[in-house]
Amino acid sequence: METIISILITLVASVVFAVVAAVLGCLLSGIDRKITARMQGRVGPPLLQPYYDVRKLLAKDTVAVNTTMNTYLICALIFTCIAGGIFFSGGNFLMCVFVVTLSELLFVIAAYSARSPYSEVGAHRETLQVMAYEPMVILLAVGFFMATGSFNVSTVLHMDMPIVGTLIGIFIGLLFILTIKLRKSPFDLSYSHHAHQELVKGVTTEMPGKMLAKVEIMHWLESVLFMAWIAIFFVWANPICIPIVIVAVALIYFLEIWIDNNFARVKWQALLKSAWLVTLVAAGINLAVLTYL
Amino acid sequence: MEMIGFLILFPLIVAALLMVVRHNTARNVIVIGGTIAIAVVSVALVVMNLGTAGQYYYFQSEIVNYACMAIGVIIGVTIIAYGIKYRNVWAVILAIIQMGGSLVFEFVFAHDVTCTRGLYLDSLSLIMTLIIGVIGSGICVYAIGYMHDFYFGFHDSQEDNPKDRRPTFFALMFVFLSAMFGIVFFNNLVWLFTAWEVTTICSFLLIGFTKTEEAITNSFRQIIMNLVGGIAFLAALYYLVIEFNCIDFMDFIVFGTIAPALVVLPLTCFSLAGMTKAAQMPFHTWLLGAMVAPTPTSALLHSSTMVKAGVFLLVKCAPIYAVSFAPSILVILVGGLTFLLCSCMAISQSNGKRVLAYSTIGNLGLITACAGVGTAEAIWAAIFLVIFHAIAKSLLFLCVGTAEHHIASRNIEDMDLLFEKMPHLARLMILGIMIMFIAPFGMLIAKWATLVSFVDTKQFVLLLILAFGSAATFMFWAKWMGKLSGVAHTEENIERTVHLTEWISLGTFSFLCIASCALIPVISDFFVEPYIGSVLGISIQPVLDDNLYLASIMTIFMVIVMAAIGRVRSKRVKQVPVYLSGVSVDNGKRIYSNSLSQPQEATARNWYLEEYFGEAKWSPVGTIATYLLLGLAFIYAIMSFVGIGLM
Repeated sequence: METIISILITLVASVVFAVVAAVLGCLLSGIDRKITARMQGRVGPPLLQPYYDVRKLLAKDTVAVNTTMNTYLICALIFTCIAGGIFFSGGNFLMCVFVVTLSELLFVIAAYSARSPYSEVGAHRETLQVMAYEPMVILLAVGFFMATGSFNVSTVLHMDMPIVGTLIGIFIGLLFILTIKLRKSPFDLSYSHHAHQELVKGVTTEMPGKMLAKVEIMHWLESVLFMAWIAIFFVWANPICIPIVIVAVALIYFLEIWIDNNFARVKWQALLKSAWLVTLVAAGINLAVLTYL
Repeated sequence: MEMIGFLILFPLIVAALLMVVRHNTARNVIVIGGTIAIAVVSVALVVMNLGTAGQYYYFQSEIVNYACMAIGVIIGVTIIAYGIKYRNVWAVILAIIQMGGSLVFEFVFAHDVTCTRGLYLDSLSLIMTLIIGVIGSGICVYAIGYMHDFYFGFHDSQEDNPKDRRPTFFALMFVFLSAMFGIVFFNNLVWLFTAWEVTTICSFLLIGFTKTEEAITNSFRQIIMNLVGGIAFLAALYYLVIEFNCIDFMDFIVFGTIAPALVVLPLTCFSLAGMTKAAQMPFHTWLLGAMVAPTPTSALLHSSTMVKAGVFLLVKCAPIYAVSFAPSILVILVGGLTFLLCSCMAISQSNGKRVLAYSTIGNLGLITACAGVGTAEAIWAAIFLVIFHAIAKSLLFLCVGTAEHHIASRNIEDMDLLFEKMPHLARLMILGIMIMFIAPFGMLIAKWATLVSFVDTKQFVLLLILAFGSAATFMFWAKWMGKLSGVAHTEENIERTVHLTEWISLGTFSFLCIASCALIPVISDFFVEPYIGSVLGISIQPVLDDNLYLASIMTIFMVIVMAAIGRVRSKRVKQVPVYLSGVSVDNGKRIYSNSLSQPQEATARNWYLEEYFGEAKWSPVGTIATYLLLGLAFIYAIMSFVGIGLM
């Protein structure tokens, strides 16, 4: 019975996450574009421009290379929602990580299924990106367990201190791969919003209007979820943490925008090497300290 | 006990019959009848003993003792004969050492030692029974159709072929099953050793089955490595008999758990034996070479027999590893390194069977490492890794085998558009692949448990290895799955010529795959936890039921989606050719009209990242490191033995 209730809670949380995170993610994306424009000396689009874009995409006819791609994308979107539901209902962090990976896989497979050489290149790069950041994400879960004694996200609410104190190395590693996860330059190999450094349109080359809208919404949801991963580093059993979390998340997102606008896309070799090296050094040392000291 | 006897002896009778009967239809009937009997009895045995905490049967038999001795001699003579025929000095020398050693052992040392409890059955044996009895026999059924195509192609009808050695092939498969049942039921270590050697010789003969030069070379590589393991096993037996007068497997485990310092040398020997059989580095090359054999052989070696015997021995010894020092480190590091390096090297492979082989070795490495950790959670993880690996890998091998006969290639690049050419087969292959590497499917749940057990025991190195190895695993499976999933709506269905027997096996395995993934909590309650409880006294489930059931729901959802995907073609979707920087001429072949109005083909290959993950780069590293580890472990073991002697 308890099992059923807990699963139901997760599913309800997924639905709530889908709605709330879509709104937040849309706004975040609008702010992102605004700040990016200012950094480039432009005025930039209105705050709700991402919403207008998606609304227009959704109104387009479906002209597709095959019929399977849409199914993969719907599943990817659903699993992103479930990952969010698991996380925000205080569930198992590893489970959340695994479900995000599943949704990532379905996204990649959607691109592969098109069989366009361009989307295949995008898919290969996306797969490589997953391989580059996956060790850090797993070690993030491990570090979380070592710091809190549980994989359950809800345990941070009972901590005496924010876990960033004991997990500083892990946090640095996470910041590094966050750039990949948020699809920011220099690590936006598979799918970029900077047109000048894109090979056709990478992983989304063959995705028409309605499908592209799903990809865009999925990206909003993911952004919110990943920023929440950052946020848990600053949470502890004290209401004072709320403003601290907001400031920290805002600063880090600003940092990501700044990086995005100041670095040109790197080659995949540099991405893989640097991500694995940072993971090995930052997370490795952190975990070694937690294990042996 | 009668059923245990049946499972061990009946396959031998079937094998004898198969050697005699030369008629095709008769052989097919015998194979199907035999496998059904084995599967039914296996399931019945499991159902009748569900949740058992272990039963030991008082059973001694001089006849079995002499039979074991005779089998040992036959094996030795066979290897020596082959060694002389193909001029392989090492095989001959090792076979002589082993045969001589075991004869001296039997007549001089172990003559008066008795083991009253010859047979046993616990929940781990039951799991292995299901794996051997259902998956192993399923592979035999599959082999009926496959071996026909192997000799005649799928077009021709039956005809006489002087080179048709199918009787030998099927007989060997059944002997293999019998030996595997022996390994999981014998408590008498001498009998266990005999069954162990029977699996070695069977796989030797199966790998060399086609008698091509490559097959012979690879089969000798296998036999030499496994003879080394066999000799290590024998050395452990010598030690146990001389020091403790003991050939009772259970007694050894119990005694070892209480006094790990006194069993360092035999445990290190058993570790070596288990690791050679489980194809751990530096012995992994024999399993890579084994894929020259017909596909059912590979499927059998990789999923339900041979390598599983190796990890079975290691998992049995897990409680001793948990309390011992050097052997535990040896097994953990060799297993961990093997997992990491083989997962990385799999990225650089384009041959489907070779990718499967590397993935097998890698996963066996993880199981080995879990056994080395040896806590309740680690054993839980190891057993689930064994289960899911057995089911998913057998499915994958059979899929690749069937695909190979129909597209005439086992190269992943040639599996482009398989989703349309062989719609059912490609979906099953994707199912197998997903089970191997992605949550919420079984293998990832088992890896999750692995992670939990490593965190709990603070295995720092293993945690890093697991994180990076899993990332590499994602890469090589995802790109294979991507290759399979391409859809251009241009291809004809070519899978109508697949034999019914192949479909039956594939269907059964897929069902098992889905059922086992969806029922993890149930398997845990009725099989895995009773076993761990019986050996450690406590049992912890590393992953909570809540998460397991959530995973089940997602698994079923994904299975339904993958079964249905692409079957319904929506009318509202307007289909267009892919973008090829020019006017598309042929969507399926990706030919477009270039700027000179000439037809131009756009090609794209998967990434193999040879420069980073190539075999030439990593294989020597792993081999040297693991040789060093083995050397150090044996030096430590011998020194501790000398230390005990001095005391």
